[in-house]
Amino acid sequence: MRHDKLVLTLLWRELLAGLRSMRRRDLAWIALGGGALLAYAIADVFVALRGTAAALRQAQMLWTIGLPAALLSLGCLSGNAFAGLCLSRAFAPFLKALPLSSAERRRMAAVAAVVLGIPLVLTIATAVGLGCAVIAKPLAPVWALGAAILFAAGFGMAAGWRLRRAYEPVGVGPAALVVESGARRPWLGAFDRSRPAWLASWAWGLPAGRVRPSWLLIGAAILLGMAASLAAVTSLIHRSTGPATMTGLAGGLLVFMLSARFHPLGSPVLRTAPLGFAKAWLRLARLPLQLSVAFFLLPAGAALAAEPSAWAVPVASGLWLLILNGAYAVFAAYFMTAPFVAALSFLSTIAYTSYESLEYGRTVLIGFAALVLWLWYRAQQRYRHG
Amino acid sequence: MDSAADCPEALAVRDLSADYGGHPVVGGIELTLNRGDVLGLLGANGSGKSTLLKAITGQIRLFGGSVAVNGVDLAGAPERAKGGFGLAIDVPDLPAALSGRQYLQLVASIRGCAEDDWPGVDVAERLSLKRWIDRPIAEYSLGTRAKVAIAAALLGAPPLLIFDESLNGLDPLAAWEVKRVILALAASGRHAVIISTHVVEAVPGLCNRAVLLAEGSIAREWDARQLAEASHTPGAFEFHVMQALSEPMSWRRR
Repeated sequence: MRHDKLVLTLLWRELLAGLRSMRRRDLAWIALGGGALLAYAIADVFVALRGTAAALRQAQMLWTIGLPAALLSLGCLSGNAFAGLCLSRAFAPFLKALPLSSAERRRMAAVAAVVLGIPLVLTIATAVGLGCAVIAKPLAPVWALGAAILFAAGFGMAAGWRLRRAYEPVGVGPAALVVESGARRPWLGAFDRSRPAWLASWAWGLPAGRVRPSWLLIGAAILLGMAASLAAVTSLIHRSTGPATMTGLAGGLLVFMLSARFHPLGSPVLRTAPLGFAKAWLRLARLPLQLSVAFFLLPAGAALAAEPSAWAVPVASGLWLLILNGAYAVFAAYFMTAPFVAALSFLSTIAYTSYESLEYGRTVLIGFAALVLWLWYRAQQRYRHG
Repeated sequence: MDSAADCPEALAVRDLSADYGGHPVVGGIELTLNRGDVLGLLGANGSGKSTLLKAITGQIRLFGGSVAVNGVDLAGAPERAKGGFGLAIDVPDLPAALSGRQYLQLVASIRGCAEDDWPGVDVAERLSLKRWIDRPIAEYSLGTRAKVAIAAALLGAPPLLIFDESLNGLDPLAAWEVKRVILALAASGRHAVIISTHVVEAVPGLCNRAVLLAEGSIAREWDARQLAEASHTPGAFEFHVMQALSEPMSWRRR
C-alpha cells in the first residue's frame, strides 16, 4: 500500500528539516569536528586492539559470554528505541484523523524499524569483522555474521515486543493527563512551590501535580531501596567503605539521571518570562538533586559507620556525586527534549574520558570540563535566542 | 527609584530585523508604543507578524536593530525587559500537565506577584475560568486554554500586553469581556497593548493604531483618526486592508 512508507517519509522529512534549520557553521562543526573525532577514535581503537591482540584472542569469557551478551543487549536497546521512535510517528496526533487502523499504523512502524535496523546490523557486522581481522582472530567473517545475527535477534525481539504493545498513542497525551475532578491536593506541593512554582510537576508531566503510583515507579523504588540497603549491610559486615560508597555514588547519579527533566527550558512560558537561564536550570535540577542526595545518604552513612577513620571517602564520593549530577544537568539541558540522548551522550563522554585519562592522566578532565561549559553556553544561548 | 517605571514608551523598536536560520523574515521595523496605545497588527499568513512578536519578546535573536520594553533594552537586560510585558502564550505551548491555577501560580511566582494580581479586575471571574481552574490544562477546550493564557499575560499588570491571535478561539462572551478589559487598561493610561489578529473588522472598534505587515516590513499604518473615520462606514477599514493586501508586492509605506 502507498502509506506503508509513511513513517519513513516522516522521519526523513524531519531529518532534512532539522538539517536545514541548522546554521551552516554548526553543520560544519558537526561534520568536521565529529568526523575528526571519529577518525581519531577508530585509530585509537585500532592501536589498542593491536596492542592487546594476543590477550584478546585468548579471552574465552569475552568470546563466549561477554561479546554475545553485549551484542544482544545493544540490539535490545536499539530495537526498543527505534521502535519507539517509529511508533511515535505512526501514532502522531496529526495522523489521528486519517482512516488508518492500529494494526496498519503498527505495520508502518515495523517497516520503518526494519529499514532503519538494517544499516545498524551491517555496521555491527563490519565493526566486529574488522576488529577480529585486526587482532588476527581466526574466522573473522563468521564472527561478523554471528555478531550480526545476535544484534538482529536482540533488535527484533525488543522492537517486536514494543510494536505488539502499541495499541494507543505513545507518550503522554492529553487523555493520559485527565484526573478526577477536585478532591485530592497535590502532595508534591510542599516541595514544588518555590519560585518558579510547579516547575518540577510540569517537567515530570504530573497531572495537576499529583503523583500516580504505578508498578514501574514502585518497582524502581523497591529496587533502589534494596540496592542501597544491601550495599550498606555489606559495608557494615566487612567494615569497609567501598561497597556502600560506590553504590551511593552510582545509585545517586542514576536517580538524578532518571528524574531530571529540562524540557520546560524550551517553552516560551519560561523564555518570555523575567527569569534567567541559570535560575530556571537550577530550579529544574533541585528536586532531582534532592532525590539523588536522599538516596546517597543511607549508603554514605553506612560507609561512615563501617569505617569512621575513612570519612574522607564518602565525603569525596558526595562531592563527585554533586559534580557528576551538575555535569549531567548540563547535558540534559542541552538535549532538553531527549533525555535518552542526554543520558547516552553523558555516559559515552564519561566512558571516553575515563578511557583517555588512563593514557593521558587527569588533564583529560579539562577537556570534559570544557565540553560541559560549551554545552552550558549553547543551552543558555538557545534559551535566550531560540 | 526605577526610571523604567516612569517611561512613557511601553515599547520602542528601532530598525529591527530578524531571521530564521539565516533567512531574513522581518526587516526595517520602526515602532513606538506609548501607554494608552492599542495596536492592531495585521498581515497575511507568513507576513512576519509572529516573527516580529517573537523578536519583541526575546524568543529569537535580533539580526539588527534594538527593542526596548518600558525603557529597558531587551538585549542589554533581557530579564528586566521581559518583566515589562505580558505575553499570552500560544495555546499549544501551555504546560498541559499543570492545572490552570498552577500555571497562574507559576507565572505569578516568576513575576513576584500574587496569583490573582490582575489590573483592576478578577480576570478568572470575568472569563468564567473558576470552574476549570483546578483541572489540568490538558482537559481544557481551545477557548478555555486561550482564557488561561490571557489571564496569565495580565498577571502583575505589566505595562505592555501582547496577544498573538489569542482572541480567536474565545466564545463571544469571553471575547467581549477581554475587549472590555483591554479598552479599560488602555484608557487607564498605564498600559499599551498589541493585538495580532486576522479579524480585521474588530480592529477599528478595539485599536487606536494599526499596522499592516507584508513581506516582513510595515506596508501601511493607520492612526487613531483614520481608524475612527473608517469605523463610521461599515466595511471601510476592511476594504482598505484588503486593497492593501491585494496590491502588488512593490509596497510603499503610506
